[in-house]
Amino acid sequence: MLAKWKLREVIVLSVLAVVFAVVYLLFLQLGNVLFGLFGLIGYDIIFGIWFIVSIIAAYIIRKPGAAFLSETVAATVEVMLGNAVGPQLIISGMIQGLGAETVFAATRWKNYSTWVLMAAGMGSSLFSFAWGFYVSGFAALSPGYVTAMFFVRLVSGALLAGLLGKYLSEGLAKTGALNSFPLGKEHKRNVTV
Amino acid sequence: MSRFEPQIQVEGLGFSYEEGAIFKDLSFSVLKNQSLLLLGPSGSGKSTLAYCLNKLYPEAVDGELVGSITFEGRNLDEFKQGELNQKIGIVFQDPESQFCMLTVEEEVAFGLENFHVPRAEMEAKINHALKLVGLQAEKKTMIHTLSGGQKQKLALACVLALEPEVIILDEPTANLDPQSSSDLVETIARLKKERPFTLIVVEHKLDDWVELIDRCLVFDSNASILFDGSSEQCFGEFAPFLKKEGIWLPKVVEAALTAKDAGVYKGEKPPLRNHELLSGLEDPDAFFKKDTKTRSKSKPILEASGLYARGHLKNVSLTIQKGELTALVGANGSGKTTLSKCLAGLIPLTQGEIHFLGVPLSKWKEKDLFQLLGYVFQNPEHQFITDSVYEEIAFGLEHKSTALAILEKIGLKKHANAHPFSLSQGQKRRLSVATMLVHDQELLILDEPTFGQDANTAYEIMRVLDEKQGAVLMITHDMELVDQYADTIHVLDEGELIFSGTPESLWEKHEVVDRARLKLPFRKQLLNEIVRREIHVAQ
Amino acid sequence: MSLNEVNPSIKAFAIVISILILSVFFDPITPLVTILWSVTVTFLFGRVSFKKWLLLFAPFLFIAVIYVWSTMLFPRLQGGDSVIWQWGFLTLTAEGFQRGASLGLRVLSFATLSIMFTLTTKPTDFLLSLMQQCKLPPKLAYGIMAGYRFLPLIKEEFQTLQNAHRVRGVARARTIPDKVKQLKRYVIPLLAGAIRKAERTALAMESKGFTGDKNRIFYREITVSRMDWLFFILMISAVCLSAFISWKLGYLQFYNGEL
Repeated sequence: MLAKWKLREVIVLSVLAVVFAVVYLLFLQLGNVLFGLFGLIGYDIIFGIWFIVSIIAAYIIRKPGAAFLSETVAATVEVMLGNAVGPQLIISGMIQGLGAETVFAATRWKNYSTWVLMAAGMGSSLFSFAWGFYVSGFAALSPGYVTAMFFVRLVSGALLAGLLGKYLSEGLAKTGALNSFPLGKEHKRNVTV
Repeated sequence: MSRFEPQIQVEGLGFSYEEGAIFKDLSFSVLKNQSLLLLGPSGSGKSTLAYCLNKLYPEAVDGELVGSITFEGRNLDEFKQGELNQKIGIVFQDPESQFCMLTVEEEVAFGLENFHVPRAEMEAKINHALKLVGLQAEKKTMIHTLSGGQKQKLALACVLALEPEVIILDEPTANLDPQSSSDLVETIARLKKERPFTLIVVEHKLDDWVELIDRCLVFDSNASILFDGSSEQCFGEFAPFLKKEGIWLPKVVEAALTAKDAGVYKGEKPPLRNHELLSGLEDPDAFFKKDTKTRSKSKPILEASGLYARGHLKNVSLTIQKGELTALVGANGSGKTTLSKCLAGLIPLTQGEIHFLGVPLSKWKEKDLFQLLGYVFQNPEHQFITDSVYEEIAFGLEHKSTALAILEKIGLKKHANAHPFSLSQGQKRRLSVATMLVHDQELLILDEPTFGQDANTAYEIMRVLDEKQGAVLMITHDMELVDQYADTIHVLDEGELIFSGTPESLWEKHEVVDRARLKLPFRKQLLNEIVRREIHVAQ
Repeated sequence: MSLNEVNPSIKAFAIVISILILSVFFDPITPLVTILWSVTVTFLFGRVSFKKWLLLFAPFLFIAVIYVWSTMLFPRLQGGDSVIWQWGFLTLTAEGFQRGASLGLRVLSFATLSIMFTLTTKPTDFLLSLMQQCKLPPKLAYGIMAGYRFLPLIKEEFQTLQNAHRVRGVARARTIPDKVKQLKRYVIPLLAGAIRKAERTALAMESKGFTGDKNRIFYREITVSRMDWLFFILMISAVCLSAFISWKLGYLQFYNGEL
């Protein structure tokens, strides 16, 4: 998978992952507050933010594996930062990334419209919920509550990962920093036309 | 290969991106062990050319290369990916983005690993390379704790460890203070004496390099070759022409040109060294004398006494007068930025008091304070908070129409809708200074405003600051600017203020200048040389 | 032999497997014994500062408490549950309480195992080991390393941005749209700078002859010894023993995902 990647793309992916690993850790604190206020579902409200790097990396680099690798690397960096859940977070990251990657794969990595980006965010929601259900023991909760959690997370994935990811990527394209990437080129064409 | 057969031969070379050509149809050759300087205005494709020479481009980017480059008779296409990099090493401009490992030894090892050097030999090679640049004591150090100068030396060590035949330096001193720059150039000169190699330098600040360079290749802004020949010729007969093109010249050459225009330079050939300049001048003393300007100092704007902060500052007291341009100087890590941030109330003090306009800083409301006190950060990008150049200026302004007037004044009107980040380096700096000038602040603090700027932008900024009504405090490494513009100068050393006074009185205090690792301005260096010579003659 | 010297990949592997085994069970005793075990091992065999450990552990303690809270107040009610306390829509049952405790302790057991790894493993060693033992492609591993190097820089830039915004008079965001804008105001400059630096770093790495070639002679070899596998076996056995103890005490219960 990596053979077709330029080193430049790998490092940019990794830098995105590093920046968002930090963002993720900051949001963990916000999550904890919401958690305290609303209980377990508080987490799900902002759960989408933890998939955002998948969307951003895929939208910018547009290569197979971008969504999966960026989320996995972000999780690895979180572990290296020593602040998060530990090695099994890498597995969570892989599963979340896989969720988004599956959606991009379904378009054969050709379509990066708003809807696809939102669907990719929801893909991560779905995969991560299934994993969380198993590891975190959601089965102990009442079915109604679990269903509510699921839908909240789905919406959060679509909005906080899909839409916000698109919004941030496009803001970034405006700065000219992405000029050598597909998204930056697309942006430049749109401006000059 | 015979001695006179070119080591690198470039023929009909062109490089272009989707958007257009960087350069076209370049042809030149480089002899073994030559020291070649690539000179030209920024944006003339010198760095791109350097990257093409060691095959980094076009592989790393989506560019297209035409023409041919041969190295020791072999076309670059015949080299495997990575193979050439052992023979042609490169040191880049930005010390922050050249490394991929965490410690010094790992970074040197990284290059050796790439070329499958047997493990048993690595340690010795690493030690040797670090010794060559004087970093042996830092072998286990984390790279991010090194100073900029040390980082550049490390980059050099990484290259040296591979024992290349050609070393390319891509503006290696652009982000270093003057002392570290001279240090790096000295290191390179010494290395070249010990073990000859071909040197290709892309550089703007030429003073330290003049002695080392034997050939110059000058480009114009369209990236065509303007001049190709010896450095004597380049900075000799060709110098007035270069000046017209807006290309930086060594200070000696610059001074000789000025003197010639004024009719006081009688030397036969243009000078390349200080003593040549001096012997050609009619009355060097008069030529280098400075007209001292005096500003009327009315009242203190900011008074600080007994400042301590987070172990970085020790008992610092200073006063800034209205209408004054104050410079804050000192070696890297001496606490300049910390002090400037304390004065702006951005870092809490552990002890001491600051009064701004007679009121203790702690009593000010932040909103009111920053209407009257501006701070320009070292990296202009940090200061931008909106998506367009126009909004940057208009932010916080009551009358939006004045924003356009200001843009007009700083020459950015046609970029009003562009994203601030997409501007050129010089434009970004002008914009960041302008955002701080719109409110007519009483005091403006600037952290190295001319750092990494070309000559024109630097002087333009200084002109604006010089005319400013309120007071200006500026951190800088540039002693030429200090000498020319500053009314007062404060010298910091390890958090202590070791000198406050006029620039002229500082230049006489050799122990302060040495301790703070400052460099005398060119004018003063030459005046001292005259005195030394007179003493010599008298003896 | 200290924990800090155990092969990082095997250490990570041991901990992931332990956690996977733990997640099969659902009772308070298994995780509790595991917690006791992993904390003891961490401090007996690892060079670990208690302060750092506590700093990492505290947030998990908080999360665990909330988990217990959520599970107790929004329980999966089953027929035959004995209600201890009821107030409005809140119902506390004995079974709910036990489930809550199980869930909380489960989180903490994952945490203590993870912290054991984090505090005794150097990032560089981990990546080197992943390349040397797990055949992680060097392109990705060095890419991650290069990105990781940016962290101190990013932290510094973040603080500078905060100050710069203060000077520019940017008000604190209160509404949600403002907060999104604020996030953008921080993230975009950080990313724009980081991406440009990343591209330069890639070029610098290639200039040193890096091609992503998998045949690499490493300056620092991360070895695997019998001690590493002994550690692995000990860790797994300890978790199994925890489950055994729980079974002996009559608490052991399998985690069934059904609702």
